[in-house]
Amino acid sequence: MTASLLHAQDIGISFGGLKAVQGFSLQLPAGGLYGLIGPNGAGKTTVFNLLTGVYRPDKGAMQLAAQNLMGRKPHEITAAGVARTFQNIRLFPNLTVLDNVRLAGQLRHRAGLGATLFRTAGYQRQEESLTRKCFELLGIFGMQDRAHELADSLSYGHQRRLEILRALATDPKVLLLDEPAAGLNPQEKKALALSIRQIRDRFQVAVLLIEHDMGLVMDICERIVVLDHGVTICEGPPNVVQNDPKVIAAYLGGG
Amino acid sequence: MSTSTPAATPPDLAPFRPVGPIGGMLPYVIGIALAFALQLLAPKFLDRYTARIVMDTGIAVILAVSLNIVNGMTGQFSIGHAGFMTIGGYTAGMITYYGSFFLWGSFAKHGAMLGSGEWLFAASCVVGGLVAAGLGYVVGLPSLRLRGDYLAIVTLGFGEILRVVLQQTGKVIDDGAALRAMPLTKWFPPPVGGAVGFDGIPKYTNLFWVYTFVTLTLVVAFRLKHSSLGRAMISVREDEIAAQAMGVNIARQKVLAFVMAAFFAGIAGGLFAHEGGVIISPKDAGFQRSFDYVIMTVLGGRGSISGVTLAAIILTVLPEMLRSVAEYRLIAFALLLIVMMLVRPQGLFGIHEIWHIRRKRA
Amino acid sequence: MADFTQTLMTAIAIGSLYALIALGYTMVYGILKFINFAHSDIVVLGGWLSYTIATSPLRVPWLGWQLGYNLNPQSPTPPLWVAVEILIRVMLLCGLIGFTIERLAYRPLRRAPRLNVLITAIGVSLFLQNLGQLDFVFGASPEKMPALLPSWELASFSFGSGESTRKVVISLVDTMIFATSAVLMLVLEYLVFRTKLGTAMRAVSFNTDTAALMGIPVDRVISFTFVLGSMLAAAAGFLYVMKYPGMNQPAHTVWVLLGLKAFVAAVIGGIGNVRGAVLGGFVIAAVEQFGAFYISSNYRDVYVFALLIGILLVKPTGLLGSPLREKV
Repeated sequence: MTASLLHAQDIGISFGGLKAVQGFSLQLPAGGLYGLIGPNGAGKTTVFNLLTGVYRPDKGAMQLAAQNLMGRKPHEITAAGVARTFQNIRLFPNLTVLDNVRLAGQLRHRAGLGATLFRTAGYQRQEESLTRKCFELLGIFGMQDRAHELADSLSYGHQRRLEILRALATDPKVLLLDEPAAGLNPQEKKALALSIRQIRDRFQVAVLLIEHDMGLVMDICERIVVLDHGVTICEGPPNVVQNDPKVIAAYLGGG
Repeated sequence: MSTSTPAATPPDLAPFRPVGPIGGMLPYVIGIALAFALQLLAPKFLDRYTARIVMDTGIAVILAVSLNIVNGMTGQFSIGHAGFMTIGGYTAGMITYYGSFFLWGSFAKHGAMLGSGEWLFAASCVVGGLVAAGLGYVVGLPSLRLRGDYLAIVTLGFGEILRVVLQQTGKVIDDGAALRAMPLTKWFPPPVGGAVGFDGIPKYTNLFWVYTFVTLTLVVAFRLKHSSLGRAMISVREDEIAAQAMGVNIARQKVLAFVMAAFFAGIAGGLFAHEGGVIISPKDAGFQRSFDYVIMTVLGGRGSISGVTLAAIILTVLPEMLRSVAEYRLIAFALLLIVMMLVRPQGLFGIHEIWHIRRKRA
Repeated sequence: MADFTQTLMTAIAIGSLYALIALGYTMVYGILKFINFAHSDIVVLGGWLSYTIATSPLRVPWLGWQLGYNLNPQSPTPPLWVAVEILIRVMLLCGLIGFTIERLAYRPLRRAPRLNVLITAIGVSLFLQNLGQLDFVFGASPEKMPALLPSWELASFSFGSGESTRKVVISLVDTMIFATSAVLMLVLEYLVFRTKLGTAMRAVSFNTDTAALMGIPVDRVISFTFVLGSMLAAAAGFLYVMKYPGMNQPAHTVWVLLGLKAFVAAVIGGIGNVRGAVLGGFVIAAVEQFGAFYISSNYRDVYVFALLIGILLVKPTGLLGSPLREKV
């Protein structure tokens, strides 16, 4: 049993009187591919927001390997190695496809003001290697020929994929994907499932995936956590979760 | 899924890659040389009035392009830019006016072109810029907690507070003996003229210095925009949440934008204060002047350096040409703003530079 | 004690004015989520239109209409109904102007980014200011408003005795200002919280789209809100020139600062919150007047802005406001 890479313990948050997430726990191992599912409004994206520091958990603990994530700001958590995509696409519309990725990729290469304004040799080398690396990333989804187009001129499917590449450019250890298959047709979904697995293998990232498409989730996820009204109601490998009566009730509204 | 085929380096970087270590300095050197040429040739082709307009235009360009860093690149709506300009101008004026006396015994202009007097002036502009930058830091900090409308009001309030504070300053001291005898405590509040303005500043501003600083501003703005730092700033404007998720420290970017913009505004203020025929006064810190520069960024396209430069030129030159109908200037500006927001809210060029227009259509 | 009371009296009068103006800001922000920079210019209009109507000799003979009252600063004080008439006319006129502005400049931008509307508002503000300064409109020089109310003292208190007796006066003008403002504010309170229209206004301020789906005529409600706010602003302008008859020209800073401080009042009370605006108005007036008297009157404007910055840093939603969360 590999030690968990991303470790969340009993995290929770309330908005006013509403307990959006209550005591969520997760142990995501390095290289794991887990799924997070649940009916609408269950709190799945809220969990992502907690893990990435967008909301500060009211309680609990979060770690990435040995680093504490509790109370850290979003950009610090990303620097630590947790990257994400968004349920509603949040690309930078007025930046080019390449620039969207470069913005994420430059995280690890801080350029000083002086170097930038005088275009020192060091700065130029850095920019060049960054550009090469990001350009290569675009190749994963065949977007290299669109590198200089504005991000908002892409089709919906391409935008979703670009978001994944952008998150990947931050050199993460953990990748949180929020409904990456939303709006894709069945072939695209199959291709996406394959891509996610290949990304996990090639880049050695652990993946946590929110999805509504059960087929995709059951297909690629090793382990699934089910959330309903902010509470984890079931956790386990796909075949266990599929047959769990609480899960079925939650989705079909029984009881 | 396609297997990745490594392509050649995308041509994106090529036009902007300077040649060798000298390349880094080249644009600055070229700009300064052009400014020098302008200064030498001007008396042959331009009368004083036109030369004055050319200088005013240069100053406006510095202010508009620097405001663009805050308004256009990080998307923070600031209407207090004139405040930074004014504090820079007053600081620079104090240095040259009182400094001249302590160095050379007189308050007047000292030395020939590029003489020691002018270097004092240039240094005073830079110091003015640094002081303004410090103030930019102070103003930038509240910006971290505020969005849109609220930030606009706070920046407006800052300009007004500065105006009131400057109005409470003491009279300008023109008596040398009294000056020498003054104890240190009397320097606060600084004797910079109060409500009537700081009269007597030696008038050093000329085409060379204006356009040297214009070069500095334009090269810096341009290099900033097309750099990793620039991308980070623009991402703050585009989507703060996503920017943070991609590792951008938005607080740092926002404050940096304020500081940089204020620095150049302060320099422009120094140039303004030393311009012949100008008496810098507290009302120059007010929102009415700030609005002028906001209009330039809105017209030019918030984010486009060339667009904003063009707008600055148009909106400085045009009113001069239409002197006869001066009272309608502000009404025309106002209607321009309203119509632009209805018809073309992204300004003339949006976030793109003039030379990108064709590419965008593709 | 005398000074304190006098300062308090002034603060209450001025506070009423700030409250009236702040209500307009807060209502518009509540429904459209932007700062209507042009609101303070309606106040100016209110003041200058009052002057114009009061002093104009215009008659429309064949209708028997007296458009103006042909007064000047030397005229004897007219009967009370004249003041009331002028007030009503000014309010109606400005209501109409507010309606027009919303229709032409703001409605097309209903779905635009808020910053764009803010820029438009700045444009409208600049436009109105400078239009007013034109010679054929109000002109660019100060004028004196003729007195519409007799300068009676309604009550006076004496503090101290003998040499150090200080007299504090409650003037008719101040009382009328407070009374008129109070009446208007109570009418508004009733309107917003006890009528169907008011409920519609509040519904639109919570969620425009849902309100539309509920069958609320959103466009009409919004127009009405603007009209209402403009009418209150006009009243404030009228009352202001009653108290300070030495009127500065339309683009003078004094007017803009009046509006700006009222905006600060709205923010302090909690922007979007009607009762907060009233509270904020009095708080700002108190800070301004007491600060000017007890600390230094030179920095009068600074206190208000300093308070604004303080509130925005500590409790940005204001005294009575509620927090907003952005959905991620």
